This record gives sequence, structure tokens and C-alpha cells, in this order.
Amino acid sequence: MAAPGEFRRNEPFDVERLPKLDADQVGHLRRIENLSLLLPDDWSGMQGKSSLQEDFGGLRFQLAYMSYALALTHRHRLPAAPGVFRKTFERLIEKMLSPDVWTYWHYVSTGNGPINAAQGELPAEWNPVVKDNIMYSAYLQSMALLYHYIFNDARYAEPGALTMELKPLYWGAGGKKFVYDERSLNDHLYWMMVEKGYLGIACEPNCVFQICNQVPILGFRFHDLVYGGTLAKEVTDGYLRAWSDFGIANERGHFNMMVQEIERNLIPTEAPWVDFWLGSLMHAWNPRFVEEHYPAQIARWGEPGPEGTLWVNEAPGIPASLGFTSARDFGWAAVCASEVGDAESLSKMLGYADRFLHRTWSGGGLHYRRHDESFDGEGLFSAMDPHTGNALLGYARLNVPGGLEKLYAEPWGEEHFREPALTNISDNADVLRARYERDAQSLVLTLSPRAGRDGRLRLELGNVWDRGGWSLAIDGEHVLSGGASGPGASAGAVAAKREGERLVLECSAAAPANFVMSFH
Amino acid sequence: MLDGTFSLTDHDGNAVTQASYRGRFMLIYFGFTHCRKVCPRSLACMTAALDALGDAAGRIVPLYITVDPERDTPEVMKSFLEENFPRFTGLTGSREAIDRAKASFRVFTRKGPDPEDAEGYAVPHTAFAYLLGPDGTYLTHFMDTADPAKMAGGLRDMLAKSAATA
Repeated sequence: MAAPGEFRRNEPFDVERLPKLDADQVGHLRRIENLSLLLPDDWSGMQGKSSLQEDFGGLRFQLAYMSYALALTHRHRLPAAPGVFRKTFERLIEKMLSPDVWTYWHYVSTGNGPINAAQGELPAEWNPVVKDNIMYSAYLQSMALLYHYIFNDARYAEPGALTMELKPLYWGAGGKKFVYDERSLNDHLYWMMVEKGYLGIACEPNCVFQICNQVPILGFRFHDLVYGGTLAKEVTDGYLRAWSDFGIANERGHFNMMVQEIERNLIPTEAPWVDFWLGSLMHAWNPRFVEEHYPAQIARWGEPGPEGTLWVNEAPGIPASLGFTSARDFGWAAVCASEVGDAESLSKMLGYADRFLHRTWSGGGLHYRRHDESFDGEGLFSAMDPHTGNALLGYARLNVPGGLEKLYAEPWGEEHFREPALTNISDNADVLRARYERDAQSLVLTLSPRAGRDGRLRLELGNVWDRGGWSLAIDGEHVLSGGASGPGASAGAVAAKREGERLVLECSAAAPANFVMSFH
Repeated sequence: MLDGTFSLTDHDGNAVTQASYRGRFMLIYFGFTHCRKVCPRSLACMTAALDALGDAAGRIVPLYITVDPERDTPEVMKSFLEENFPRFTGLTGSREAIDRAKASFRVFTRKGPDPEDAEGYAVPHTAFAYLLGPDGTYLTHFMDTADPAKMAGGLRDMLAKSAATA
């Protein structure tokens, strides 16, 4: 053991043995951050052909799955870097509350479409969470509770923290305001789930989708992790009983899409997006069931592409006349492969996407550019939609095998939230590693300066006081020591000061560098 | 969350609402007397939990609200409960009144065939035991997976909290 302040060329372990993000993974995170930083209601890069937010790639889905991707990356790859994710996550939740995201419900709530005409035309509803519409309400619920859980921050538990508001000028007599917080919204969804016998809450009126009812289950679990209780267990037990009337999967091994609530009629659809979207989410709480069905599903829907790649076609039956062209079947297949740990298929699909699906770098971020033609001149699948290009392929690349399952079933203990961590970082660096190595009592960060962003790096570290003496090394060179309540003298490369409970460091970095803060 | 309101008829023929029991806790269960498994199991569990409370059980009114008013008249409920679960008072009413009570407690039901009685029907239902406080507010509910000891413990805690805040 080195004495406090002693020069330490040899760190207590080999930093390079720890996994780090690759350039593409960093690029996906940067893309999510860039989109989150757009001004309110600027949806540049997130808009597909207009479906008035009805389709399954609408803004709410992009925002939600980008937030899930952040959470999974934090949980599994950069556990000691809440500061990389937190503000971006907050901005995504803020965007979820925009009327652009939820006012579709005013007309979708009237129903009377081709598969939900049983009730006729219903009164238009403005409140997007009060009834049905689990395809919005549960994403908001799960995002807020997931935020609370992974950042240990109750900001969305404050009264009115999840308020949806419209301020019209020429109609509406004072506007619309729907006031919730994470607990009131969660309670509301829970009791709706009870009232439905756990079969699920409808998306569009009379349409109970299995997929969208996985999302409140995730939210209930995050609720239980924060507040205690067994809502998720209760609901999943009830869900299995309720769906035994219809079958979660059909006799051919494909997952059932939806039930018409009033008629209690199963809509028999087989489609890759149903299999893979449901599989990706249900794997959180029913992993063996999903893994049992996945091999046959990927065998049916996966198609060999050039040079050993793999692709998945758009679902049959989507009417081209509506103008919907998407790669979401492909995107969800990649996500599901990542979740069940099918590394070979995932690699092949990402390989196809990288070659043929309009891979684009923009502002340091990686995404796949929208493309409205399904096939190119050589007959290769070439469609790309914003949801797949911004969220799903990034999610797939950032996830780890069983990522959602572990997020759900293997929660962080209280000790995690007491460990040293990077709580904030200036916007001129990416974080490739961030782990607290318990055995070595060392916080390990690998930082990479962003191209075109000059200036000194500024880091804020939390949970570093009252742990004894410490030393900080950059690429193995000792630069700073400190004690239980403040930093000591710097070797010059790093400026350090205590601000409240945080240790603030400033330094220059021209290339990726390993920061190791070791406690003695 | 839950209104916890009802306007029904008890098994002695008296018109009652939630206000009729003000000042005492209410332990409310929705079911139907033709129920073969879930209701008897839950009613037995609640009875055992109340037995375990001893004298303190006197602070709780156990109520059994039917979801099958077409068959569960006051007379049918009284006979069923006095014979099997005498701690409970049965409540019934018109279909509309029952539906309002169900909605108030967010109770799920679905009328369907009874596999053991081709001429009859079954009404699978939410199997919660709701606990309302002396002022009629919803406090908590117990799942049908709770055992008597666990439920008794929960009831005891709620009674103690009420006493502490009174």
C-alpha cells in the first residue's frame, strides 16, 4: 500500500483490463445527448412521415427508448458516471411533457378505427393519461421512476413534477393542465391495471397490446425498487393468469399482438416487430419464456444479407399507401438479439445497418439517417426511420446480454449510491470508462476530449470525502493527493477544489486519458 | 385513487352506505356466493385474521359485497354468511348500484361460463380485501395471497397507527 501522496506509477490494477465504450457506442450516446439538447419542440432529426404521432415510431417512443438506452449504459457500462446521463435523461422527460408528444390523444381517444369500432365514436379526451393510452402514460411513468431509481433522485416525486399543460390562445378557455407526479401516475396506472384484471390497459380505445403493457410493469418494478412493495410481482402474476385465456404466444411460437377489449377477441397477427419488441421488454421479468421462443423467431424473420450480414424485412401487411416505411422490425430484432445475448445475430444486423442503412455521423453523434425507400436499386433493404436510427440501433449497441433483465431483477444496492462517482462533466469530453473498483478502492475514469471542443475539462466527483486519504493519477502519473475533507497540493497538471460535497477538478487533455482516484 | 363509496342493501334489508359504518374500520371484500374457491378461501383467511386480533377485531366491520346481485339477494347472502362466515355482513343491490360500487373500488369482474355448472355461470373478480379507515378513506388492501397471520399483522399495524394519530 502506498502512503498518501506517494508517487504511484503502478496503479493497483490494470486499467486496460476494464471494458470501455467503443467509438460507435460513444457516438450513440452523443446522438441522444444532441437530440436532448435541441430547443423545446425542435424535433429536427426525429420526424418521420407524419402519422400525427399515431405510429410506433412517434416521438414518445424515441424519447422513451433513448432514456432506456441511457439507463442500461449507466447500469452496465458506466456505473460510476451518473453525471454523463442525468441531465440528458431529465431533458428527455421534459420533452415527453411537450404537447407535441401527447396531444395526438385528443383525436386517437375517439376511436372508431378499423379494429376498434365496437364503441363507435367516443368523446374526445385531452388528458393523455386518465384512460387508455398506456402507449404514452406508461412511458412517462417508467421514465420518471427509472430516473428516481438509477439516480437516487426524487425530483419527479414532487407534486406536479409531471404536469402536461396546453396554453392555447384562441380556444380552450384557459387551456388544459393535467397535474401528476411519479407516485400519483403510478397509482393511477396500477388501479387501472387492477380494474382490467391485469390483462392490460388499452392503447387506442379497445386495443390491449401486450407490448405496451410490458412498460407499466417496468414502471411498477422501478416503483418497488424506490418505495418498496410488490406491485410488479402482483401484476406479472395477474398478467400471466389473464393472458392464459389467449396465450402470450400462438401455437407457432409467435407472440400475440393484441386483444380487442370489449369483444375479448385476439387479433391474430404474426410480425417481427411484435415478436422482438415484446421479447425485448418481457425479457425483463419472463426471460426464460422469451429465450425459449427467440431462436425460432429470429430463424423465421432473419434474412441473410451480403457478406455474412443479417437483416429483417418490414412486417407484411403494412399498407404502403399509408406511406409508412420503417426499419422498426429490423431495429427491434437488433434490440432483442442484444437482450437475449444473441451476439452473432446482433453483430450481423449491426453490420448490415452500418453498410446499407445510411450510417451517419453528425455533431459527434452516430445515427442512421431517415430513408423512405424500402429497397435500393439492387434489391437490398434500405429503409430507415428516425426511431430505429436514433434510438433502437443505439439501444442494441449499448445494451449487454440480459441488460434489461438485470436492471429489473438485480438492482443496485444502497452501497452503489455511496460510492465515489463522476457526478458532472463539462461538455468537451466523452466518458469511455467509469467504474468504482471496490477491491482496489479506486474510481476509474477514461475520458476522451471531444473533437472541436476546446477548453479545460471540468469534472465533479461525489462521495469522495470521509473515506480517508486518496491519490489521483492520470495515465499512471501521480498528479494530486487529498484527505478526508479536501484536496491537497497539486502537481500542477490538475486544479482541484472542494465545492460543497463535490471535488471539482480541472485539467487539460489532448488525448484519451485514464484517471484513477485511489483511496488508502 | 379509490373513492370507496357505495349505496347498497345489507343482508337484513337495511339501506346502507359507507357512512353507515363511520367510526369503525371497514374490511371490504367483493365476491359472489356461488364462488367455489376464491371467495371461500379469502373469507376464511379474513375470518382467521380477525379471530387473531381478539377484542380489537371489534373495531373492524367485515363486509362482503356481491358482484352477482342477480343471484345474491339479501336472503341468499344472509343464509350463506351466517352459515359459513358469520363475522361478515353481506351487501347487495341493483345491478347499477353494484356497478357503481365496483367502479368506486376499481374492481374487475367478468361474467363467464362455469366449467363445473353448465347451467350456471361464474364471475371471476378482483380478490382484494380493502381496508378503509374510520373516516371512510382507503388505507390499504390485502392480496388473496396473504395468509391470516400476515393479514392480522397488517390490520394490527393499521389499528395502531389510527390509535396513535387519534
